[in-house]
Amino acid sequence: MGLIVVGHDGSASGDAALDRALEIAAGLGDQVTVVFGYAPPGLWGGEIAEHEEAISEYGEKVVAAAKEHASGHGVEVETQLVPKKASEALLAVAEERDARMIVVGSYGDPPLKGAILGSTPNKLLHLSDRPVLVVPGSRP
Amino acid sequence: MESASVPGDGVGGDRSRPGVEDKGLKKNAIGFVSSVVIGVASTAPGYSLAATLGFVALAVGFQAPAVLLISFVPMFLVAGGYYYMNKADPDCGTSFSWVTKAMGPQLGWIAGWTIVVADIIVMANLAQIAGLYTFELFSWTAAAESTAAVTAVGVIWIVIMTTIVVIGIELSARTQVGLLAAEVVTLALFAIVALIKVYSGSGGAHAIHPSLSWINPFELGASEISAGMLLAVFIYWGWDTTATVNEETEDPGEAPGRATVISTLILLGIYIVVAFAAQSYDGIQGLTAEPEDVLSHLGTEVFGSPLDKILIIAVLTSAAASTQTTILPTARTTLSMARANAMPKSLGKVHPRFLTPHVSTILMGTLSVIWYVALTLVSEDILFDSLAALGLMIAFYIGLTGFACTIYYRRELLHSIKNFFFIGVGPSFGGAILFYLLIKNAIELSDPANSESGNSWFGIGPPLVIAVFFLILGVLLMFVQWSKFPEFFRRKPEVVPAGFLEGEAPAPGPTGVAD
Repeated sequence: MGLIVVGHDGSASGDAALDRALEIAAGLGDQVTVVFGYAPPGLWGGEIAEHEEAISEYGEKVVAAAKEHASGHGVEVETQLVPKKASEALLAVAEERDARMIVVGSYGDPPLKGAILGSTPNKLLHLSDRPVLVVPGSRP
Repeated sequence: MESASVPGDGVGGDRSRPGVEDKGLKKNAIGFVSSVVIGVASTAPGYSLAATLGFVALAVGFQAPAVLLISFVPMFLVAGGYYYMNKADPDCGTSFSWVTKAMGPQLGWIAGWTIVVADIIVMANLAQIAGLYTFELFSWTAAAESTAAVTAVGVIWIVIMTTIVVIGIELSARTQVGLLAAEVVTLALFAIVALIKVYSGSGGAHAIHPSLSWINPFELGASEISAGMLLAVFIYWGWDTTATVNEETEDPGEAPGRATVISTLILLGIYIVVAFAAQSYDGIQGLTAEPEDVLSHLGTEVFGSPLDKILIIAVLTSAAASTQTTILPTARTTLSMARANAMPKSLGKVHPRFLTPHVSTILMGTLSVIWYVALTLVSEDILFDSLAALGLMIAFYIGLTGFACTIYYRRELLHSIKNFFFIGVGPSFGGAILFYLLIKNAIELSDPANSESGNSWFGIGPPLVIAVFFLILGVLLMFVQWSKFPEFFRRKPEVVPAGFLEGEAPAPGPTGVAD
């Protein structure tokens, strides 16, 4: 039984990625791990633990909603909060669990905007040594 | 499903279980060089000198280097307090939670409030320098002399800086190292060229050979010391964070102490060498001709065109780099206060995509713009006064943090000589020096003749008016929040758990979670 790692940040494109991952997993008989990376931006300075806690609370809501969203598909779904930046978190979990592939949603940002804001799919495509599926989210 | 572990990146083993949040924070190992860089960069030496040196020279004349030297003493002593409070309340890192723990929620609230206000004011100062130096970079003198133009560009800078912090763009540690190295090299080059010119007789009209007496604090009068030190406290503001990142360094036994010592020496070295060079190049006149703009003024004379631009770029990058180390941590203070129900809940929100405390950050950016524009409308010479007010606030909350450390650890002080001096005497003595400066200055500033702009608001000096206004506003807002959410304000002061320092008791819980 293989494993598909899905990145979810609580957005509609995260749901789109999850839906597609569930489809594939159902077909292959794989299980799905939903990952939320929550490293706070800005390495140093005061109250960083509070910041991290606030993000991880948000992350818990995201993965709980994702689990709820995924129920009823007949696929085994687990969730994982990882205290790293999103791309690093996905790569680390995929490596650790020897995942079949990583599935993420894209915001559909133009390349320049993605470069400024930091695009997780872009980073994954460059850094991952296993297949990455990028699912376009609905454009806002 | 059994728990899956994720490989760490250097500090420890697995720290992640499915669906369970992880409290461990220390996974971002910070190298020795990085922790030195953090210490120096968050102080923003180029920008701090540009904003402060001229005003220090106005206050104390040739003794500016002496003031820079002795101002460091209270900061250094209190940094020991930061180190020990950080040990007990790890990562939470600033005065709000520490003062709340040691001295109760009311003082803690005021400490947090002071940090926020200081940040709003420094954003305005930062914007002013950034606006000026932007025009200087393009040699657009007419615009640099227009208050409206500088203010407009300054506001744009605040907007850009706030946006950068909200969307969480951060310089990689390596970029940070590169930028800082360029800044330090530029400042060193400035000092060397200036001194060579002085000794070869081609310095400014008021050039004077450096004298060791400049660094002698005993040549300072008492009121010069307090006025000068209160300004100079500002240039070391941010250095105290070195004490709190220490625990995250790769080699916790050795590296932290060394990193702190080295970043200290670098900062002191930069400040004193540049101050010596700057004032020997063209005397006090060169520093005070345009006090809000020292380095661009002197840079043009020392380097000549176009090399003078590198100094301007150094100051601009210094100002930009300090945003990440000033605004974000302060937005985290309000985030932390909101989570403790000490401020409105919405300030505790994190942005779903960028994961930054965006409500806090945007609010702070907006208030900074309002403050900056309002100040400019009231008076063009207010920069010095708001800087002096900033000094009062910094002295207040850093001093308070020093006392908090001693109070929090009061039962441990007699356990060893080390505890007694580093936890007891040091931080409290540093705090006492800062409070002495605070009170002495407040008394002097109650006479408007002693404020540098010479303005009089309600018959007293503007810096004191600014500081007292924000203190009263803070107390009022605290009571508003108190009446709505009393539970945070019912917290009792705590002491450090017995045996914590010896490793026999666990660290106390975070302040943000009411227990």
